[in-house]
Amino acid sequence: MCRRFGLLLILGVLASPLFGQDTLISRLRIRADSLLRTWQQAVAIANLADSLERERATIGRDTIAVGALRIITNASPLPVRQAAALAWPAIDSLYGSAAADLAERPYFIRAVDPDSNARRAVLHVGLEVPWDLDLRSTTTLLLTTVPIAPPDRALATWLTGVLRPSIHPREDLGGVYLEFVTAPSQAARGCFMGDIASCIDALGLGDTNHLERWYPSAPERRAVVAGSFADFFDHGGSAQALRECVAGRDASCTALLRSLPADVLPKPLSDAARVSLVRDALRLGGQDAYRRLLRDPEAAIADRLAEAAGVSVDSLVAGWRNAALAARPAPVELPWWAIGVALGWVTVFAGCGLSSSRWRL
Amino acid sequence: MVMYKALLYTQWKWARLIILLGTLAGFSLPLLSLQGAARADRGALQAQDLLRAVQSWGTLYPLLAAALGLLVAIATWTADHRGRHVHALTLPLPRWRYVLLRFAAGMTLLAVPIAAVSVGALLAAFTATIPSGLQAYPLALSLRFALAVLVAYAVFFAISAGTARTAGIILAVVAALVVVQVVASIANLQLDLIGTSQVVLLHGLGPLAVFTSRWMLVDV
Repeated sequence: MCRRFGLLLILGVLASPLFGQDTLISRLRIRADSLLRTWQQAVAIANLADSLERERATIGRDTIAVGALRIITNASPLPVRQAAALAWPAIDSLYGSAAADLAERPYFIRAVDPDSNARRAVLHVGLEVPWDLDLRSTTTLLLTTVPIAPPDRALATWLTGVLRPSIHPREDLGGVYLEFVTAPSQAARGCFMGDIASCIDALGLGDTNHLERWYPSAPERRAVVAGSFADFFDHGGSAQALRECVAGRDASCTALLRSLPADVLPKPLSDAARVSLVRDALRLGGQDAYRRLLRDPEAAIADRLAEAAGVSVDSLVAGWRNAALAARPAPVELPWWAIGVALGWVTVFAGCGLSSSRWRL
Repeated sequence: MVMYKALLYTQWKWARLIILLGTLAGFSLPLLSLQGAARADRGALQAQDLLRAVQSWGTLYPLLAAALGLLVAIATWTADHRGRHVHALTLPLPRWRYVLLRFAAGMTLLAVPIAAVSVGALLAAFTATIPSGLQAYPLALSLRFALAVLVAYAVFFAISAGTARTAGIILAVVAALVVVQVVASIANLQLDLIGTSQVVLLHGLGPLAVFTSRWMLVDV
């Protein structure tokens, strides 16, 4: 009897943490629910505040409509309407039918006196712009702050930002050409030499094993570690591996680079190259290209780009590469007229020397 | 021709140290800017480093061109200024012809460092391993250097040939520009005389435009 009682007692003692654990889970669940409710309340309050602030920002303001652009602004010499007329075609050609959504997402622009120090009410939405901004700067401002809805997380991560219309498309592609020839990566160089698979790798559209694809050789990996992460790894446990890597031990370089989060590895081609590829895809895809690009956030970026462009990703990338090669920056050679101008000035100054008042007797 | 040779000889005596040092610097500069580019272990990986090095060294070409033009122009006139131009007045030739011969002699001497830059640039370009996508521009660089040297020489030759009054007028104009700019800034006026002068002198059709832009022996 006593043994049975002892056994039950032992079982009871052993089971008590399970009851405790159950209580702990319940407590944590309650806390999580409470946190969720608080977050939802905070979001609702933030939305209300935002809405009230937008309401306040529109009081006594005019709405300028150009295409689907809506600009709520105060009366001022700022050339908003003219700038909107210049910006709208660029915005429309990039976002296509999705640009119609901008009618629901207006710009808030408050033009202020650039020479006044008078205190004014603070607005927490929109832009505060000096009214003496010229047409070109105002147009650039509208293009760089298009209030389009941000893309899904996958696309935003791949692009590292929001897609905006290009202000200098030729210069952007010239920058890509420079990256082709100067990036310390075989993928970028292979792309420059015409290997489309290398282009796909360099743009991060292919295999997700970026280290092998972007920096396949030991010298490249050593260059990346020594060039971009020497200070980062020169501490604690990684210092020894860094020294071995710099001394030429590839296994150490690879291990160090593998220890980094995937999105930290330097891209062979910059975000600007990726943005220019997306712009190409949207240009090829026509009016509904942007909507098609955003249609399936779960799909691979390469497939989404191909869907948006309406061509295979190989064709898209090949066209983009050709455009980048065609945008090669101007070489450093002197134009013929500059030679003529320089010789002309030499003659002018020599003439000044000859006709100096010193020689007049 | 005899007179030209005589003037050339005297100017060589006065400016030979400048010419020799300029020639040495002009020959070394392109070779130094591509130092290490001929090494076997320097492949495509270092394209960016190579461009950066070439760009850094490239800032020295316009400085060398300006220095050569200035020093040779000063050397051309120093002896005449010191002798109060008495020797020049005793020569059996018109003044304008004398000045023209002096100018031509100075330009002839400057051909030596210009040639040194050309030879150095060609040598550096042929011996370097240049990554694909990049190209060497030895002739374009030499041409730019030659024009910069000649413009600098012509400017300083004209200033040296002028009187103290001319120099005073030039300085007064520069000082007036600065004073007007300062007053305009104090009065909060939208006037940018210095910036405008800079654009007029250094860009487009300006006399010193050849000094600006990129001095790259290797570029895309």
